[in-house]
Amino acid sequence: MRKSLSLSVFLTAFGLMLLTLSADAGPLDSPGASNALVCSACHGFGGNSPGSTVPILAGMSPAYFKKAIQDYAEGKRPSPEMEPYSKYVLQSGLDEIAAYFAEQKKLPPRLKPDPNAVKRGMAIAAQCTVCHNPRGEGDPERGFPDLRGQPAGYLEAQTALLKEDKRKLQDAMLDDLKKKLLKRLSNRNIADVAAYYSSLK
Amino acid sequence: MNNMTRRAFLKASGIGMAILGTGGLSSFAAGTKGRRVVVIGGGWGGATAAKYVRLADPSIEVTLLDPNKQFISCPFSNLVLSGVESIKRLTIRYDSLRKHGMRIRHEAATAIEPDKKRVRVGNDYLEYDRLVVSPGIDFQWDQVEGLEAAKDKVLHAWKAGPQTVELAKQLQAIPDGGVFVLAVPLAAFRCPPGPYERACQVAWYLKNKKPRSKLIVLDANKDIVSKGGLFKAAWKDYPNLEYRPASKVEKIDTSDREVTTEIGDKVKYDVINLIPPQRAGAIAVQADLVGADKRWCEVDHVTYESVKHKNIHVVGDSTIGLPVPKSGNVANAMGKICAVAVAHLLNDKEVPPMPPGNTCYSWVNDKEAIAVVNSYKIENRKVVQIEQKLTPHKSVAVAQNSLAWRTSIWNDILG
Repeated sequence: MRKSLSLSVFLTAFGLMLLTLSADAGPLDSPGASNALVCSACHGFGGNSPGSTVPILAGMSPAYFKKAIQDYAEGKRPSPEMEPYSKYVLQSGLDEIAAYFAEQKKLPPRLKPDPNAVKRGMAIAAQCTVCHNPRGEGDPERGFPDLRGQPAGYLEAQTALLKEDKRKLQDAMLDDLKKKLLKRLSNRNIADVAAYYSSLK
Repeated sequence: MNNMTRRAFLKASGIGMAILGTGGLSSFAAGTKGRRVVVIGGGWGGATAAKYVRLADPSIEVTLLDPNKQFISCPFSNLVLSGVESIKRLTIRYDSLRKHGMRIRHEAATAIEPDKKRVRVGNDYLEYDRLVVSPGIDFQWDQVEGLEAAKDKVLHAWKAGPQTVELAKQLQAIPDGGVFVLAVPLAAFRCPPGPYERACQVAWYLKNKKPRSKLIVLDANKDIVSKGGLFKAAWKDYPNLEYRPASKVEKIDTSDREVTTEIGDKVKYDVINLIPPQRAGAIAVQADLVGADKRWCEVDHVTYESVKHKNIHVVGDSTIGLPVPKSGNVANAMGKICAVAVAHLLNDKEVPPMPPGNTCYSWVNDKEAIAVVNSYKIENRKVVQIEQKLTPHKSVAVAQNSLAWRTSIWNDILG
């Protein structure tokens, strides 16, 4: 009797432990999470985009996320997809959505870049370190994005926009510098350097 | 968050007792009242809803019903007609969904009993506390004379699957010099730009493989329903495409291979693709979830609860009244929003307002695409559009984005 009672107590405790774990609030019970629901269609659950041309938002610095949203909304960054959605983010809670994505654990991009492209890209990347720092970590608080582990297709498309001057940098001097640097890069160079930064953790 | 955790803890304590009383973990779900969600339809809306109910609150028991053993994506299925894409790559198994701890039954719901809060499946009943209905569309065969009798050979290919593959075969078999007729119904129908993307794919195929053949688009609408300017620009590459607006097909005669439009034009065809007028999936009509027109289901814009029956939510192409297109992306968004709403309601919490979004790509040839994107907000409990943006022109970059989109959204629905 005593034995079965203690077994029951154990089972209850065990069940409780299991269920409090599993019945915990769930990952969607915050304003940021519910407002970010719509984003997962393209950016993946929790912002871990599995596609090649869509950036990973998980673990992104809130400062940089907010800057990107503002830039899309003001038309400073061209994107038929993000221009409307940035306005949605601004209206439904920029701070909360930025905080939600910042809290998510970033996973490596699902598409692994070609190792040969990575090798070639590493040599080219030397000239990017002025702004993006030696390991591509940038300085997101100051508007220099962390390039590490973003999908290569996204990095490539953005670099192409910067090269074609369809995406400008706010600081005139930096904008001038990026134009000069990128003018020297071929499309192949850009794909390689994108592969390199995508491979970094 | 704290509130929820405390509630979850209290609930869990109760469940702990239930485990003692009934003797095992497996019985906890059956012994829990007020925590059962049944989802009818495993498409873009339903499969998403089932998954996200489990993500929002893993203590809710979820059963997903769909007679189809596999998910086949309607988006991209127009590309199967032109051979640019294969049906295999659009076919995804439901296996990954099971890891979220839901039950999947490959059976059809045959009736809904709102008063008894139960769904009939074969000889069995499934009880629910909240029901999500996502049955997609069905066709109004009787709207075109002669169609009912000929519906097995006159293909719609408007639900991706065997008909898509069959229509591709018919297109490939068309004699060089033959006429392919594509009939577009009056809006509203599933996927507003879909017929015009299909026109591009068929015209692209004919131009390359059957250069003497021609495509005639008989559109019941006065003009292209979606992305009109972009499609017209794309059609400049297709002199073999003849577009006739305001040409609703009213009659089909399969023995003469001829259709008749509302203005009396008779058009001969070698291959016909007649997309019939549509309404909400049969189960929604049968369960009296549709409005007076017997076609579409009106819902609350925040919870997706039917305005006609309590505790029943409707998502996806079956809905009407929201300023959103009947698209896969919208169905996915509705599925997520509805799931989170259902989890809040089952926990007696107020549902936060969450608007949907729409990202919609159309391929205009074998490598270039165009897109329309809509964002929305909720104002006074109603969905209101913030902005609509079209791509400036067709491009390879947009086509690449569409491939990233499909990887991501298929994973959002089924991963």
